[in-house]
Amino acid sequence: MEDIRSSPDRELVDAVLANRPGAFERLVREYQGLCWHIIHRMVRHPEDARELCQDTFLRVHQCLHQYRYESALKSWIGRVAYTIALRHLQHKRIPLLENTDDGDDYALVENIGDGFDLEAACADAETAQHLHAAIEALPPLQRTLLTLYYLEEVTIPEIARITGLASGTIKSHLFRSRLRLRGALEARTGVAA
Amino acid sequence: MNHDIDDNIPPFDNADHEREWLLQERAMRRERLHLDPASDDAKTLRYRMLAHALRQSLQESLPPDFARRMATLTAAGMTAKPTSGTRFELALTISLVIVFVLAAGGATVIYGSAWLPSISAALPAPDPSTIRWLLAFAGCIGMSWLLGSWQQHRHGRD
Repeated sequence: MEDIRSSPDRELVDAVLANRPGAFERLVREYQGLCWHIIHRMVRHPEDARELCQDTFLRVHQCLHQYRYESALKSWIGRVAYTIALRHLQHKRIPLLENTDDGDDYALVENIGDGFDLEAACADAETAQHLHAAIEALPPLQRTLLTLYYLEEVTIPEIARITGLASGTIKSHLFRSRLRLRGALEARTGVAA
Repeated sequence: MNHDIDDNIPPFDNADHEREWLLQERAMRRERLHLDPASDDAKTLRYRMLAHALRQSLQESLPPDFARRMATLTAAGMTAKPTSGTRFELALTISLVIVFVLAAGGATVIYGSAWLPSISAALPAPDPSTIRWLLAFAGCIGMSWLLGSWQQHRHGRD
């Protein structure tokens, strides 16, 4: 593990806590993408997401002195963003997960699949749109986990620190989401079982 | 950042599920590295298409001057507003404390004349050294509280 005591994280945190000009702006610039991805994927409402991002960084600024370097700064800030988005969903009574039977997803494990032209499918705007719609239709938690894993390239242990979920649980969510999305793709492009 | 394949992630109990998971992971890595899809099977290709879609940036984004605006807001002393849940909990706690204090006051007024003399009779006569230690203890607690409040206030204003 990288020695966090001499890491750029510590330099940045020290600069912000010392109130050096431009330090907090640098911190925001560094992590605004992560926060936006977490919050937007959780709440899906751009205006709410922008406001929650602002709340996130105000809280980060207010509580940065409590950061103890026990995890990467990225995970700590991601955790703040995730918690704020989670509270928003709870307040709006939006479920984080849906209660569905996973049997249909798991049935896809047995599917062998037929020929598939990746380049043609990627180039087909309707197929891509169909896939993006399927991603949007996933429950907030699964959307967020996939975005952290693929777009932000955050490892599963780091996602565990951000979300507070066990690594095994995250793995299971990623697995089932990918199966479900593959099912959506096969429903569009056709498959022979 | 690279996904470390040696991360301690527990395997699935079901061997088929674990095999499928490894296939999903392999497809993700192949798509990330833009490897030639010619040798990939249909399943891998579909997972690669998922990876392709999931790696695309979101359509909406934060305003370009978001970081500068945040810096201005914090410099102006703006702090995070309490969430609605926190506000409710705070209001509930304050209400309960007020009700408790009023009830204690009422009970003292109504029944105090009956049990206060017996309590004061049961207490030992105050020893001056005990009082000094109690005062020192209270002073320490007060100083800690003041220092904590000052530190919080200072960081809140930074």
